Amino acid sequence: MISFYDVTLRDGNHAMRHSLTPEFVREYCQIAEQSGVWAVEVGHGNGIGASSFLVGKAKSDDNSLLTAARENLKKVRLAVHAIPGFATIKRDIIPAIKAGVDIFRIGTHVTEVTTAQKHVEYLSGQNQTVHGVLMMSHAIDLKGLVSQAKLMAGYGASAVVLMDSAGNYVPKDVALRVNALKQEIGVQVGFHAHNNLGVGVSNAISAIENDATIIDGSSMGLGAGAGNAPLESIIVNYRRMESTAPSLDKFLEMSHLVETKCPEYLPRTTSSSIQSGDAGVFSGFAPQVRQLAAEFGVSQEDLWQELGKRRLVAGQESMIREIAQDLMNL
Amino acid sequence: MSNDKIKVAVIGTGNIGTDLCERLLKDPKFEVIAFVGRRSTSSGLNRMHGRVPNLLDSGIKSLEPFWAHLDGVFDATSASAHAEHWAIVQKRKKWIIDLTPSRIGKPLVPVLIDKSPSMKISTEYVANYSMVTCGGQSSAALIYAITKHAKSVEEVEISSSIASLSAGPATRNNIDEYIDSTENMATLLTGCSAVKSILVLNPAEPPVMMRTTVHVRAANFDLVQILKESRDLVAKVKSYVPGYDLVVEPHVAGSGQISATVKVLGSGFYLPEYSGNLDIINAAAVETATQHVHLSRLNRERITT
Repeated sequence: MISFYDVTLRDGNHAMRHSLTPEFVREYCQIAEQSGVWAVEVGHGNGIGASSFLVGKAKSDDNSLLTAARENLKKVRLAVHAIPGFATIKRDIIPAIKAGVDIFRIGTHVTEVTTAQKHVEYLSGQNQTVHGVLMMSHAIDLKGLVSQAKLMAGYGASAVVLMDSAGNYVPKDVALRVNALKQEIGVQVGFHAHNNLGVGVSNAISAIENDATIIDGSSMGLGAGAGNAPLESIIVNYRRMESTAPSLDKFLEMSHLVETKCPEYLPRTTSSSIQSGDAGVFSGFAPQVRQLAAEFGVSQEDLWQELGKRRLVAGQESMIREIAQDLMNL
Repeated sequence: MSNDKIKVAVIGTGNIGTDLCERLLKDPKFEVIAFVGRRSTSSGLNRMHGRVPNLLDSGIKSLEPFWAHLDGVFDATSASAHAEHWAIVQKRKKWIIDLTPSRIGKPLVPVLIDKSPSMKISTEYVANYSMVTCGGQSSAALIYAITKHAKSVEEVEISSSIASLSAGPATRNNIDEYIDSTENMATLLTGCSAVKSILVLNPAEPPVMMRTTVHVRAANFDLVQILKESRDLVAKVKSYVPGYDLVVEPHVAGSGQISATVKVLGSGFYLPEYSGNLDIINAAAVETATQHVHLSRLNRERITT
């Protein structure tokens, strides 16, 4: 049994430059509630508590988005993403518990899981459902990945989700990693694709074939960079694999809503996304790269390559200006 | 007697305490009377054999015989131990520089002494100064320079990225406290309650240098004055943190928004160069102690002459 985890209203908020409104959340959740998705994740692209000049100011605050979702999700679980260093227990996580969130995903860069210990332990101590998310999961070797995942499970996470934040994987990479975690960590394994190389859906299917049980996707692929694996495409594939798969109708209705509501934000695989994916750079940097490349008169391709060389991680958006400035002065 | 060396003890023999001890040993204004740990096998303590006269391994109580010889102490232990240390130091009528995130002491950023009304050297000899956080120390000059020449400050944001290798277990475990303490300082400096602090750890090899970016949103700015003031203050910080540099000068980053970035390279006393975050805290601690003792000696001379 696969739990389909819908990130349209969180990762999609990256693509929407954080302009998500409670009205959109309401309308979307009314369809999602009937669709057969397991959970809907809501919030700023970088999670609750992340609205900032650094990564983008949100048009609507966390609480109004969560409230709008909660009012319209009954069977379907309400989920949030939270990154230690941005979100704190007191300021962001406790209010989210009060807003009725069902699933907390605590995410860190794949090598920095120890920064999440207090947050994961706090939530599991409060009997909340908590998942550990390994962001930029390609940026570590297999042994390191397993040991970081074990830490998350040890703190009390009931699932560990591999995020391909840079859209760097091809299906065999996913198979290798999901398999290793399934064998080693003893909690559920989830997978979150980005479509930079055009293989987001194939990667999600590869995760399913290797017994991952939580699969992320977003309607129309609405998400950072080249977007996520489109949920409707995952479902249509899964229906050929599994007779108990959900029906397609509501997923198409959700993607139609996204298509109509924000045509200007729909992501696609481009030459730039292929370069950033191949270089293993965080997809969420796309808006800053576009803007600063134009401002400093350097090519986006050069800027992506340099970001890859300097191994920037999510949250270092302010360094892109410095690097663009350096490239201009070359 | 104002040319006497400043006699101190360092409590805590971890990375910060050991770097601080090295720094003080090289500073002719200071004499390190004792280095205090909890384990005789601590590598920090062993490193100081033959260099610090009293290497003590039973915590603050082992300082008992030495109080009469001390001017003050540096506390590089933990937030939870600091409260007890401060109680003892007060009884002994000494000053203490707090390098833990306890938030007990008065937040102090040396470059802003007598500039910002919130940053003053105490007129009382018995005093407790908190060195805030690395994000706080590295951002304060920019926050002050920008908000001084702005009208109606609406929001202040501080984001720092540091090398993963420079973030020890205490930093990782106290990331929420770090955010709290940094934001608290920003409010104290600006009076603005809409403050946000962000900390990002980067594992890249070779390790990245610390960077701190300040964003301020306000109704009006005088960019020319902001630039002048920032360059001036950065130069002043550089006098006690040599690796401190303005890498992106204050610029308009959106409507009503100014932003600027500094880089902090460590000076490599004990910790490697990429530990600018630890370096700036220790440099601030030494500078604060120097200024506190200087002022109290001036006051004493004024009374006795």
